[in-house]
Amino acid sequence: MVINMDEKKAAQVEKLEKESADLMQKIREETEIKKKRKLIAEREKKQRKITALRNNRLISREAKRDLVAYSFIAPNFIGFAVFTLIPIVFAFVLAFMEWDGSNAITFVGLKNFVKLPSDTFFVAALKNTIIYVVGTVPLTMIASLALAIVLNQKVRARGFFRTVAFFPYVASLVAITAVWSMIFHPSKGPVNYLLLTVFGVAQENLPKWFSGNLVLVTLILFSVWKYMGYYMVIYLAGLQGISAELYEAGSLDGANTWQKFRYITWPQLRSTTFFVVVMLTINCFKVYDIAVMLAGGGDGKLSTSATVLVYYIYQNAFNYWDLGYSSAIAMVLFLIVLVVTLIQFRYEKNLEA
Amino acid sequence: MKKKVVSVLLTAAMLTGLLAGCGSNGGDTQPAADNAADNTQTEAAADTTQTEAAQTEAPADNAADTSADTGEAVTLKWAIWDKDTTPYWQALKDAYEAANPNVTLEMVDLGSADYMTVLATELSGSGSDFDVVTIKDVPGYATLVSKNTLEPLDSYISAAGIDLSQYGGVDKQITVNGSLYELPFRNDFWVVFYNKDIFDAAGVAYPTNDMTFDEYDALARQVADPTFGSQIYGTHYHTWRSAVQLFGVLDGQHSILDGEYDFFKPYYEMVLNEENDQICRNYADLSAEGLHYSAAFSGGDVAMMNMGSWFISTLISNIQSGEYDASLCGNWGMVKYPHAEGVEAGSTLGTITGLSVTSVSDNKDEAFKFVEWVSGAEGAKVMAETGNFPALMNDEVAGIISSLEGFPTDAESKEALSVSNLYLEVPYAENVSEINDILDTYHKSIMNQEMTIDEGIAKMNEEVGKVLGQ
Repeated sequence: MVINMDEKKAAQVEKLEKESADLMQKIREETEIKKKRKLIAEREKKQRKITALRNNRLISREAKRDLVAYSFIAPNFIGFAVFTLIPIVFAFVLAFMEWDGSNAITFVGLKNFVKLPSDTFFVAALKNTIIYVVGTVPLTMIASLALAIVLNQKVRARGFFRTVAFFPYVASLVAITAVWSMIFHPSKGPVNYLLLTVFGVAQENLPKWFSGNLVLVTLILFSVWKYMGYYMVIYLAGLQGISAELYEAGSLDGANTWQKFRYITWPQLRSTTFFVVVMLTINCFKVYDIAVMLAGGGDGKLSTSATVLVYYIYQNAFNYWDLGYSSAIAMVLFLIVLVVTLIQFRYEKNLEA
Repeated sequence: MKKKVVSVLLTAAMLTGLLAGCGSNGGDTQPAADNAADNTQTEAAADTTQTEAAQTEAPADNAADTSADTGEAVTLKWAIWDKDTTPYWQALKDAYEAANPNVTLEMVDLGSADYMTVLATELSGSGSDFDVVTIKDVPGYATLVSKNTLEPLDSYISAAGIDLSQYGGVDKQITVNGSLYELPFRNDFWVVFYNKDIFDAAGVAYPTNDMTFDEYDALARQVADPTFGSQIYGTHYHTWRSAVQLFGVLDGQHSILDGEYDFFKPYYEMVLNEENDQICRNYADLSAEGLHYSAAFSGGDVAMMNMGSWFISTLISNIQSGEYDASLCGNWGMVKYPHAEGVEAGSTLGTITGLSVTSVSDNKDEAFKFVEWVSGAEGAKVMAETGNFPALMNDEVAGIISSLEGFPTDAESKEALSVSNLYLEVPYAENVSEINDILDTYHKSIMNQEMTIDEGIAKMNEEVGKVLGQ
């Protein structure tokens, strides 16, 4: 029996060795680099199998190494799969279904997507979200870069001012939205009081910061103020990574401050800026809490002037229990974010090349 | 080699551990075992009190039912909200458990802010073990019914011989395709609260139980004082849609399910004109501040405010406890809602709170008995004693409430408790959640003056038309 096993193994090894030799031959003949690489990988696999057989092992050393690595990834990955990956895949499927969470799921094809363009609230939400992103991303980037540059100088109480700039990011959203609604209160707020007394705006023309077209401006201003501290920290790290020799060389060549910024700081910060812009864009598309807190009034419901995509997704899923339709809207949001991010990556790659 | 085996085993253990975690909840078995242990004790107790219970309940219709149940111990899981601040949950539980010693009620507090959303999520799928759920509003009720999570109560109702006419027609506004899925136990209706001190100071006569909207508007303007610093608002409208828009449905000819909302217009005009003349607080301010209606009324600068009858018990208890300054709002009264020209006085808006039996309950009969008790005469008494309005309103119950300490002593206020026609703020319709949100949205736009009244109403007609046309 044992001999038999050994014989079988020996035959297998021989066969594998022959195949491996054949592959080697092919690799020599192959001229196209891509195909050659593929063949080399294939041959290595065969070689590994041969070693495993020769050393009387069930699985090869490499496969074992992989298994151990996977076992370390497993806890995190399983959590991710159960709570994120599977729901996301399920949402893709649901977008083509009709389901209320309890009754049977029915397939409706593209109906959910066909409904979108004629849905006033979806169109309003999409428009508002895009305006919000277009307004917030560049403003936050500029504000945080400016702050970072100023607070990278050797100014007095630099640490204190850095903390001040970072504070809105740490502070509770609920608390600071309450403060903002007081500051921009339509009839008692200090902002409108200034407009009334210093700038002489008539009382009936005082802006209502939380309704109409202005509500998006308020949202954008609020987000810039709240998030610039966070991105400032990222920019600070980027700035400190720039070698002082570059500035020294620039000074020797007689570059002024603007030229130093334009030709040293900005290009050196390119990868930081890329990171900031990508993160900002993704985060801005996800806006929900700020809109509900600032424009929701007492009941947290958003009118067409302030509604955003994530709010409408929630509304459809948990108020109307139209999970299919809400998944379809989520798919639209996903695709927009995906396309925008891909464009940003492509642009960055082109710059690199 | 051994090390490898250990690592593979570890991985396997982690995998199964995680998967088991999201499977069934193993906690279920524990209370069941406890119950079985308690069983003998409660049964013994049940025997002694059984005779008493039968005696006291003898005049009631359900005497036959109580004698039939042999006292097998059951636990009913009951979904409620705000257990600590709402006294009647505990009062109902205590009274029912005293009358039915075999039943244990397990209250689960889901919080009030998004109660119906949380409940709908809890009841989705098959993992729920609620027996009785409280229904907070009609849109949520519509959702639960369409999700098939509630048990139709018709057969139980006819078996128990419940006379639905005692609910004054409210049951018809929540009937779904001929079936009823909840029984109301609490019924709040809207009245006009007013601050007598303000009227006295202005030398203006109090509002009456029979006012047309024109008279009401004139009165608000008469008592208002726009002088800066000592401003008195003639009236106050909370930011809810119901507080303004639903004046329109009181004539009994219109409903928010119509899909045609031109009848809102005169009331929006009235309120927005009052706003412009500073007779009432401005909507944009209210919504930016998130000012609560109770804070507005108890501040002592609001002469009249339309609000639901739930505010009565809040006012009474908060004035007694000193949370509201009695010198500002202690001298209050209430009158019936104003009415349109040519419509009977005493028509008003109502909101019901009901109880339902879930379709997954294992103890549907016991659960229904509880629902029946709470929504019947005995539950009504418990509700009235805690200062709340039961759905089963009669003279006795009205007497209990108007004799509560702190209730206004004038005859008009007592008279205001009798309602001639009650229209639900939101009657049942299949798509009522969506209709409700559309009306809310454009109510906001009109009141914020982002849109003119006509534009807003046109959008309401258009968008609700789309929903109804589906």
